[in-house]
Amino acid sequence: MGDAIQGIGHSIVRMASFTGKELREVIRRPGVMLSMILGPFLIMFLFGLGYSGYRAPFATEIVIPAGSNLPQTPEDYAELAPGRLDVRGVGNDAAAAEQRLRDGEIDLLVVAPENAAGELRAGRQTAIRVAWNQVDPVYDQLATLATSILVSSLNAEIIEQAAATGISLAEGELGPAVENITPDVIARPTTAETENVAPTEPDVLSFFGPAVFALVIQHLAVTLTALSMVRERLSGQMDRFRVAPVTSMELLVGKYVAYAVLSLAVSAIVGVLLVGVLGVPLLGSIGLFAGIVLLLTFASLGFGLLISLVADSERQAVQLSMLMLLASVFFSGFVLPVTDFAPWMQYIAYALPVTHGIATLQQLMLRGVVMDTWMLGVLLGIGLVLYLISLLRMRRVIRTAD
Amino acid sequence: MTTAPSEPIISARGVSRAFDGRLVVDGLSFDVQPGTILGIVGPSGSGKTTTVRMLTGTLGRTDGEIRVLGEDPRRFSRRTRGRIAYMPQLFSLYEDLSAQENVGFVAALYGIGPFKRRPLIRRALEVVDLHDARHRLARDLSGGMQRRLELACALVHSPDVLFIDEPTAGIDPLLRQAIWDELRVLRGEGRTLLVTTQYVAEAEYCDRVAMIVDGQLVALDTPDQLRKVVFGGEVIEVNAQQDVEPQMLGTLEGVLAVRQTSPRRLMVTATDAATVGPRIIEGLRRAGVAVAGLEEHQPTFDEVFTGLVEQQRTRREQEAADAGAVVTGHG
Repeated sequence: MGDAIQGIGHSIVRMASFTGKELREVIRRPGVMLSMILGPFLIMFLFGLGYSGYRAPFATEIVIPAGSNLPQTPEDYAELAPGRLDVRGVGNDAAAAEQRLRDGEIDLLVVAPENAAGELRAGRQTAIRVAWNQVDPVYDQLATLATSILVSSLNAEIIEQAAATGISLAEGELGPAVENITPDVIARPTTAETENVAPTEPDVLSFFGPAVFALVIQHLAVTLTALSMVRERLSGQMDRFRVAPVTSMELLVGKYVAYAVLSLAVSAIVGVLLVGVLGVPLLGSIGLFAGIVLLLTFASLGFGLLISLVADSERQAVQLSMLMLLASVFFSGFVLPVTDFAPWMQYIAYALPVTHGIATLQQLMLRGVVMDTWMLGVLLGIGLVLYLISLLRMRRVIRTAD
Repeated sequence: MTTAPSEPIISARGVSRAFDGRLVVDGLSFDVQPGTILGIVGPSGSGKTTTVRMLTGTLGRTDGEIRVLGEDPRRFSRRTRGRIAYMPQLFSLYEDLSAQENVGFVAALYGIGPFKRRPLIRRALEVVDLHDARHRLARDLSGGMQRRLELACALVHSPDVLFIDEPTAGIDPLLRQAIWDELRVLRGEGRTLLVTTQYVAEAEYCDRVAMIVDGQLVALDTPDQLRKVVFGGEVIEVNAQQDVEPQMLGTLEGVLAVRQTSPRRLMVTATDAATVGPRIIEGLRRAGVAVAGLEEHQPTFDEVFTGLVEQQRTRREQEAADAGAVVTGHG
C-alpha cells in the first residue's frame, strides 16, 4: 500500500516536472507570449472594429420599354426593395445594360415587359426579367431573395393601385376581359424570370475551391520560409554565412527560388486535383493561372521571410504563421466578402496576398477572365516591397556583428 | 591585398568585448604567423568562442584592433572571405543532407561550381576520413563524425586561414588525436590555423599557445617555453634508493628549486637539465644516497595551466592588496 502511494507520488512529481518545464519555456519567450496573447486579440479586435455586418445592396439597372409611361428616374424605384436593390440607372437599351452586367459594372438587371397591360388584359401574368452575374452561391441566393422582394413589392403596388382606383374602373378599362382574369393573376399580376448570366453555375465547391487553393499556397509558402530561416539563425549556420563571401541578396534569391519551386510543385498537384478530381472549372488560360500562383507565392514568401527574420524561435515563427492564416481566413474574403468590412479595414485586407489570390483565382477559374487586373499589380507590389524589407533586414542579420 | 610573409596573418591588439557591461574578453593581444597553429586554450566560458567570432567578423568588438590578412574583420572584402574558413563550435550543418551534400553546399557558398566542386569535396572528405560515409545523412553520423564533417566543410575551399572553434569538444581521446593530426597536416601545407580548445593537454599540438582565463590572456608562448615560465626552468625527477631531503641539493649550482613529492622522490627545477643532472647524482652520492633513476620531467599542460592560473591569481591578489594599501595610505 505504502509502495503504491509512493509510486503515485513519484508519478505526480514526474508529471509536474514536465508541466513546469513547458510553462517556463513558454513564459521565458516573450515574443511567443506576445504573439500568443496579442496576436489573436488584435485579430478579434480588428474584426470587431472593422466588420460592419452591412452587406451592400445590389447595384441595379432597370430597363423599361421605349415609350413606356413607367417612371424614368432611379429615385422612383428606390422603395421597390429597399436595402436589397440600389437602383443606379433606368434606361431603354437592354443589350448595353446586359453588357454592363457581364462586365461586372452592375450586379442586377431588371427588364420590364414590353406590353404589361396587354398581357394582363389577356389574363396572363406579366413577367419581368431579372438577371445577375454571380458565381458566389451566397450572392446567388441573395439575388433570388432580392428578386422575390422586388416582385412582391411590384404586385403589392399594382393591387394597391387597383384597390385605390376601384374595381369598376378596372372593369371599365379592361371591359369584358376582366372576367377572364383568374384569381391567381389578380393576386400576383407580375412574376419574375430569373437568370444568372455567370459562365459557371454557383456551387459551393466550385466557389470555395479556388479560395482554399489560394489559402493553401499562401500558408505553405509562409510556413516553409518562416521555419527555414529561423532554424538557420538559431543553429549557428548564420555565422558560416557571415564568414563566407555570400551576400544577403544571393541568400534571399536562393531561398525564394527554392520555395517558389516547392510551392509551385505543390500548387500544380493541388491544382490538378482541384480541377481533375473535384471538378472545379478552369475557364481561363493555364498560363495566367500559373502566373497568379507565381505572384501569390512570391508575395507570400515575402511574408514568410519577414516572419523568419523577426521571430526569436521556431515556436514563435509557427505562431506568427498561424496568426497570418487566422487573419487571412477572417479578412481575405474567404468567408466574408471584403466589402462587408469598414473601408479602413479593407486596406488591411488588401495587404494580405491571399485576398488578391482568392479574388483573381475565382475570377479566372469560374469566369475565364481576371476582371480585377489591378489585383495582380498589387500582388507584385506586395512581393517587391516585402522582398526589399527582407533584404534590408537580412543585411543587418548577416553582416552586423553586434 | 597580399600580406608579406613576415607579417602576421592574424593580429589582435587590446581586443575587448563586453556583453551588458560585463567584460567577456579583456584586452587580448597576440599575433599568428603564417603557417603556424595558435591554440587558444582555456576553460569553458573563458571567452574563446567570443574571441574567434570577433576575429572572423561575426561579432563586433567593444575595443581594440584586429587585422586578419591585413583587413579589419568587420569589413572583410569578398576576396578575403574566400581565403578564410570558420568551423563553429556547435554542429550547424543540415541534418537532412548527406555528408557529401553538406560539403557541397559549403563549397557552393564559396562560389565553387559543380564540376570543380566534385574533386574538392572528395579530397575534403578523405582528409577527415569520411569519404566512405559520404552518402550518409548528417543526422545519422556519430558526434565525432559530425565534427569531422564540419572540418571537411571548413577545408573544402582550400582556405589560407582556418578559425576552428573547439574541434575536439565532447569526443573521445583517439578521435581527438586524429583531428589534431589532420590539423597539423594542414599546418604542414602552409595554412594558418587558430584553434580553440578547452582541453589544456592539446596545447602540446600547437606552435604557440594563448592561455586565457576569464577573458584575460594568462600566457602566450610556445609549449616548451610555457613550461619553463611556469616552473622557472627545466624539471628533473630524481628517484633515490634511500630517503632524501631537499636540503641535500639546495646549494648545487644550477638548481633553482627542489620539491619533495615522496620520501624517496624529488622534483628539481634547474636552469639546464643536461648539465645539472650529473651534479645532482654527485651531490646525493656525497650525502650517502644512491640514485635509482633520474630523468627530465615533462610537466603536463594541466600542470602548466594550473601553475599559470595560480600565478595569475597570486598576481591579482597582490595587485588588489597593493591597491588597498595605496587607498589606506592616502586615507
